[in-house]
Amino acid sequence: MLKVKNLNAAYKDLQVLWDVAFEVKQGELVVLLGANGAGKTTTLNAISGLVASRTGTIEFLGQDIINLPGHKIAQMGITHVPEGRRLFPEMSVRENLEIGSLMPEAKAKRQETIKKVYELFPILAEKRNQDAGKLSGGQQQMLAIGRGLMALPKLLIMDEPSLGLAPVLVSQIFDIVKEINKQGVTVLLVEQNVVRTLGMCDRAYVLDNGRMTISGTGSELLNDEHIKEAYLGI
Amino acid sequence: MELLSQTIICGILLGGMYALIAIGMTLIMGVMNIVNLAHGALVMVGMYVTYVCAQEFGVDPYLGMFVAMLVLFFLGCLIQKFMINRLVEVESILPENQVLLTVGIMLVLTEGIRLIFKSDYRSVVTSYSSDTLYFSGMAISVPMLTGFFIAMLFTFLLHLFLTRTDLGKSIRATAQDRDAAVYMGINASKITMITFGLGAALAAAGGSLLLPLFYLWPDIGHLFTAKSFIITILGGLGSTGGAIVGGLILGIAESLGATYISMGYKDVVGLVIFLLVLLFLPGGVRSLVKRWQA
Ligand SMILES: Nc1ncnc2c1ncn2[C@@H]1O[C@H](COP(=O)(O)OP(=O)(O)OP(=O)(O)O)[C@@H](O)[C@H]1O
Ligand SMILES: [Mg+2]
Repeated sequence: MLKVKNLNAAYKDLQVLWDVAFEVKQGELVVLLGANGAGKTTTLNAISGLVASRTGTIEFLGQDIINLPGHKIAQMGITHVPEGRRLFPEMSVRENLEIGSLMPEAKAKRQETIKKVYELFPILAEKRNQDAGKLSGGQQQMLAIGRGLMALPKLLIMDEPSLGLAPVLVSQIFDIVKEINKQGVTVLLVEQNVVRTLGMCDRAYVLDNGRMTISGTGSELLNDEHIKEAYLGI
Repeated sequence: MELLSQTIICGILLGGMYALIAIGMTLIMGVMNIVNLAHGALVMVGMYVTYVCAQEFGVDPYLGMFVAMLVLFFLGCLIQKFMINRLVEVESILPENQVLLTVGIMLVLTEGIRLIFKSDYRSVVTSYSSDTLYFSGMAISVPMLTGFFIAMLFTFLLHLFLTRTDLGKSIRATAQDRDAAVYMGINASKITMITFGLGAALAAAGGSLLLPLFYLWPDIGHLFTAKSFIITILGGLGSTGGAIVGGLILGIAESLGATYISMGYKDVVGLVIFLLVLLFLPGGVRSLVKRWQA
């Protein structure tokens, strides 16, 4: 579904990604791991068209999208739940969900999808008229995910959805990510929570200083000596 | 007592029309993050369009207003797309310099109009220009009253547009978080262009409503840039509701100044208030409301 090859990306003169290559197949849950500053967010933003300076190929559903502007990429079915949530703080919960479904097909099913999102996150239904900026961190993350689902994505990209949440909530968010994937949405997930994500993903890649170093299935990586050393402290 | 209430009512009516112009500026500021110092010049061009419609084609100013809005919408789109956007897309150019560009645009518009119409004072006279309503001892000008209600109607329609339609929500989303808007599949560049056009159309509407009340000459734009700027600061940058409050405050202050100090000091009163607000309430009325809620 998504095939990234020779991806290089830079901010002004600072090159951050070096020949990154990876693949996400239809229906998979793929995890991208890496230390702080490794370039995970940059990789995701390069896919979504928000890093201005990028070269290589990013093939989505057989089409190279590397030169498309960000909004076109979103319209093709790649939905990004960004790092730091990036909600529209002065719009209500409901409006944030509505704005997630601008594309024709998503718009046609807007009310139906909102209902499903409310079932998934009942708290959002309760707070539907509140400004997104006034929600707690956990609720904001739920809204960010809900807003992503509103687009009826073909590929859902999530950047550290568990960041800054209490352990109980982290667990809940991971359950939901798994559930979303089970319902047929292909997911590309960036996480720092290595054990938990390797346990639930189909395949994983490790990004180290802007280069892909290790890849394999979740259990392969869990048993990888380097991973054990670098991320699990064993 | 009648004089005071008449003065205040006049101020409110005037302020409502100012507010419409300032809301246009606020909208543009929201999505572009720059103060558009050409805003008053857009008001002025809009007034000339309405003036020409009335003078050359005998179109009533309240109808000519729609022509002016349409013309200014497209003019605004073109200015945004082919001039301002050029600078926005170059990251190394600071926002301060984008503001300088709007000053340049203001000069070009002002001098362009001067080239065509000379610096002569002009005015539009209609059958109802000097009509007055008498109301418990107060005299209220009909064009003022009409202008105020049309301005409020437009404000209300704009509010509906921004809160009820996908396009309106896309404008608000782009203003609140541009990158996040792109994640939603919103073409942020297009939205910015449309918003600039919309802001210019509101400027034209406000100007056309004020046309029966003001003399028109090319430099009148500066007056409106200053007023919109004062109002946006007064109201707290970027809020439509704040712009209405700011507009009313400015209108009342000017009106009081004109009645009780001197007609000539009308605009000075606005500037004094502006300075006071900057000194003592830099967040505008909006920050006051927030402080009160907290
Ligand atoms: N907008 C930017 N401008 C300049 N440099 C940037 C920008 N965003 C990120 N960088 C730099 O690019 C490198 C990779 O950053 P990136 O955000 O992609 O890392 P990450 O793996 O997502 O890290 P984290 O786990 O902290 O989110 C870092 O060195 C960072 O400082
Ligand atoms: Mg990151």
